[in-house]
Amino acid sequence: MTVTPDAKPDAPARSRLLTVAGVAILVVALVALALVALGLAGQRGARPTAGMPAPDFDLPMYANYENGLGQQIKLSDLRGKVVIINFWASWCVPCKDEAPALEAIAQKYADRDVVMLGINYLDVERDALAFLATYGVSYGNGVDLQQRISKAYRITGVPETFIIDQQGVVREVFIQPITELQLSATLDNLLN
Amino acid sequence: MKGKRQKAEGKNQRRGRHPLCLLPFAFCLLFSLIALPARAQTVLPEDQMYQIAKQLNCPTCAGRNLADCPTDTCTQWKQEIVSQLKDGKSGDEVLTYFRGRFGDQVLQEPPKEGFTLLMWVVPVLAAAVLVVVALLAARRASSRNRKSANLPTASSNQATPANSYETELEQQVKDAS
Repeated sequence: MTVTPDAKPDAPARSRLLTVAGVAILVVALVALALVALGLAGQRGARPTAGMPAPDFDLPMYANYENGLGQQIKLSDLRGKVVIINFWASWCVPCKDEAPALEAIAQKYADRDVVMLGINYLDVERDALAFLATYGVSYGNGVDLQQRISKAYRITGVPETFIIDQQGVVREVFIQPITELQLSATLDNLLN
Repeated sequence: MKGKRQKAEGKNQRRGRHPLCLLPFAFCLLFSLIALPARAQTVLPEDQMYQIAKQLNCPTCAGRNLADCPTDTCTQWKQEIVSQLKDGKSGDEVLTYFRGRFGDQVLQEPPKEGFTLLMWVVPVLAAAVLVVVALLAARRASSRNRKSANLPTASSNQATPANSYETELEQQVKDAS
């Protein structure tokens, strides 16, 4: 037997291939790491709390629940008014409990530059509209499409209520069903 | 005796007619067997709902699919699927509705497009690269083994200094003996 004549010339080519493969593995690993980092970055960030600017959003309104605000409203267009945003869902039991209080407040402060906005979270339209009809809701209500608003506000469930002042700054956050008394106290403080 | 035999023959004749009497039953059985697959092919909205719900995530329980989740939210979503199917929407249209309203994260499998395409491509690419590297490494190792196995044979054709010394020594031992 003799030594294969092509063994020697192949060696550098193989070594080159191995180097290329090594670089490719490195690139793939780096891309995977970048993806993980991006995912983690997306999850990071805190819920807006008192004193922080309220994240802006566009809210597509439910038909018959525009409340004179148009088919789609932008939070920043409501500067100069106190805005109450309430995240709710028809399947959420505490949301049913607080619904009468929210409606009462909306009516009580209707002529005092206060805008109440219901943001329907993870809900199907049919059930959402049935909920609004059942609880006689009259204030503006829209849908959180693709959970963009709930993600911006980092909500962890429903109901959650944010009170935003005339300058677009968050003044109060309620991570629980809200009462008429609690809302009145905060609103009176902001309006006076 | 004769009377008895006649009676027995008569019975046999009557018994002989039985297979023909069973013919209608056989037809019924045959038709029902033919009809069975047709019945199985009829997809009920509830069955189709289950197929669609299997492709969606429960919005409130992490990692659970909609079909297997008994929460109120999921029950409402499943009712919505049935209702849309009854309205004449196709499975794809229902999925598009849910994706449009709740985002890509509602899907059990991330869509193979845009940024999420990377999630599908990167693992496959990584696996392919690893396979190529493993193959190359294996080839390299086997080539090395072949080379080392070939060395003594090759050296036997050409006299190396050590080999010539051994041969010379053997020759001297032979001469001395």
